[in-house]
Amino acid sequence: METVGQEVPLEHYIMLSAILFTIGVYGVLARRNAVIILMSVELMLNAVSINMVAFAVYTAPSLFAGIIFAIFIIAIAAAEVGLALAIVLRVFKNRGTANVDEIDSLKW
Amino acid sequence: MDEAWVLPLLPAAGFVFLLLLSPWLPRRGDWVAIGLMTATFVMACLVGVDMAREIGDAGVGNFVPVTDSRQWLEVPGYIEIRMGYFVDQITLVMLLVVSFISLLVLIYSTGYMRGDRRYGWFFAVISLFSASMLTLVIADNLLLLYFGWELVGLCSMILIGHYNDRQSAAEAAKKAFVTTRVGDVGLLIGIIILFTQTGTFNIQDTLHAAEEGEIAREWLTAAAVLIFAGACGKSAQFPLHVWLPDAMEGPTPVSALIHAATMVVAGVYLVARMLPLLEVVRGMPELITAIALTTTVLSALIGLTQRDIKRVVAYSTLNSLGLMFVALGSGAVGAAMLYLFCHAFFKALLFLACGSVIHATEQQEVDKLGGLWAKMSITAPAFIIGALAMAGLFPLSGYWAKDEILVGVDHGHLHDIVLWVTFATLPVTALYMMRLVMLTFFGKPRDEHVYEHAHESEPVMSWPLILLAAFAVVSGFVVFEGVGEALGFHSGWLGFVYNLAEGPEEFHVDWAISIASVALVVLGLAAGGWFWRGDAEPARRAAAFSPATYRLLYNRFYIDEVYQAAINYVVLAVSSIVAWFDRSVVNDSGVNGTAEATGFFGWLGKFPQTGKVPNYALAIVTGVLVLAIVAFGYRT
Repeated sequence: METVGQEVPLEHYIMLSAILFTIGVYGVLARRNAVIILMSVELMLNAVSINMVAFAVYTAPSLFAGIIFAIFIIAIAAAEVGLALAIVLRVFKNRGTANVDEIDSLKW
Repeated sequence: MDEAWVLPLLPAAGFVFLLLLSPWLPRRGDWVAIGLMTATFVMACLVGVDMAREIGDAGVGNFVPVTDSRQWLEVPGYIEIRMGYFVDQITLVMLLVVSFISLLVLIYSTGYMRGDRRYGWFFAVISLFSASMLTLVIADNLLLLYFGWELVGLCSMILIGHYNDRQSAAEAAKKAFVTTRVGDVGLLIGIIILFTQTGTFNIQDTLHAAEEGEIAREWLTAAAVLIFAGACGKSAQFPLHVWLPDAMEGPTPVSALIHAATMVVAGVYLVARMLPLLEVVRGMPELITAIALTTTVLSALIGLTQRDIKRVVAYSTLNSLGLMFVALGSGAVGAAMLYLFCHAFFKALLFLACGSVIHATEQQEVDKLGGLWAKMSITAPAFIIGALAMAGLFPLSGYWAKDEILVGVDHGHLHDIVLWVTFATLPVTALYMMRLVMLTFFGKPRDEHVYEHAHESEPVMSWPLILLAAFAVVSGFVVFEGVGEALGFHSGWLGFVYNLAEGPEEFHVDWAISIASVALVVLGLAAGGWFWRGDAEPARRAAAFSPATYRLLYNRFYIDEVYQAAINYVVLAVSSIVAWFDRSVVNDSGVNGTAEATGFFGWLGKFPQTGKVPNYALAIVTGVLVLAIVAFGYRT
């Protein structure tokens, strides 16, 4: 019996999630602007959330574990972005740049 | 008598109570210690009454010691260790002496120690001291005895070093602890040997096994020698006697306690208790007697020249302990315990009287005292009674006890020379006791300022003196059967405390020995009175007769110096090698080496830390990829 959300095959969700995740990884590694990097991290988190929800629907539809997990990820991601943006803002105010290559004083 | 096990617990409870609460109690809680000690003494008396009644019922010689024990530790199928108490006549004597002297010392201390910085602590430790000694004497097994033994050593160290802002007191405390430790190690090894041979710590079972010859001869000899070594350390017998004269650095009441009741007599008690085992070993009585005679002779000679009033009394204790061990070596347990009993009174009296003099004059050099008879109307007669009892003048207690020892030696199986040497020390003892009396209380005051300052002590200090003086006079009369019967024991001392192998004895006077000993004592006293009369001019001439001898005696035969040299050249040399190993191998290579190695690898490891976010991100991604590949590889 098909349930809600199972109209599309599972593979499609996974593909979407993988593509989003890879774009996020690429963004984190390739871009130098701290704000862009943060956005890329958000992409990765969302990719994971999609994965969770998809698996939840396909494997254990009566349990909402995966879906609740996704909600947690969204909440934590929001908090994390708030924190990270605040840091980026302070760094930009102090140093006049948000380029992560130039922010390297925390080293040996 | 079944409740005798409570006795050590009362002062022990006092110790814990004072330790926790003393600062918040009125008078720092000295009344707690005194109250509990009074209860202890009363209980000890009740034990005595019980025992007297049982002896009355059963008849002398049929009395069975009271003993009971509980399991303390068990390894099933291997060992069972029991803890319990054992009360016989020797125990009873010790219980009475310890609790009575402790009580008087506590009362006296309320005057002597008034205003002391650590007043409450002092009373707490004295309570623990008595509790440990009571544990030691009431124990039915060697393990519990050893616990008490070590606690006694610990308390003596704490109390000798009570004035811990004085370098000499700290040194004396250390010396007492380390010197007695030498003997204690011997005792511990001896106990372990006996345990491995018999499988029990119980004293009576061990003695029985030794008498039945169930212990291998070599092991028994080793154990006997080691146990005697322990007794030597605690009872300050040559060559471990050096700590006792220095122990007078402690407050005077502590000296009285250590010398009369709680510390040095522990060795006498141990040897008296283990005598059936020691006597089985061939040569052991001779060894005990030889060491005891050496101690007696040395201390009597040294006592002649010392200038510190307490130090002379300390040497007189060595002298007395030597006599007790001579008696034990001859097998005269009753005589040794009688001397211990009487000695407790007159030695506590001597020390407390010394303390009274020191308290009044703040001076303990006899060269600066003199003429105090007029100023101290209680202390002076009390001290003189103590000194005469110590010298052994008829009819004071010292006389009866000493004569019993002489009779015991005479009846013993040892060579006659023991008797002659013992006789020879009697006039010397009388001589130096008389010297002390003459220099302290008679003659012209040698220091006017000290003399002006002197005054009689307050009642709380003089009453214990009066009481002890009375006992120093009469305690010897317990040898008479009439006195024993009046007290309810149905016999005199010798029928009450006796060598189990030989059974109870009847008291009789050996006229030859009595007359000879009294004559020698009177001779010594008269000579002392003549030598140190007035300005002590004859004594000075006698000292000038042979300055080398005088220096040898004054410097205590240089025994301390020899030990110090041995420590400097042997102990410290070995220690410096150990110290070098500790510093260079353990510390520099081991400890610091570990730290330096950690530091080096930390230094190496810091370089990947670039501080650039993309580098860390790349590392994370790479790590995840590697993990993913590994996990994938495992799955297929």
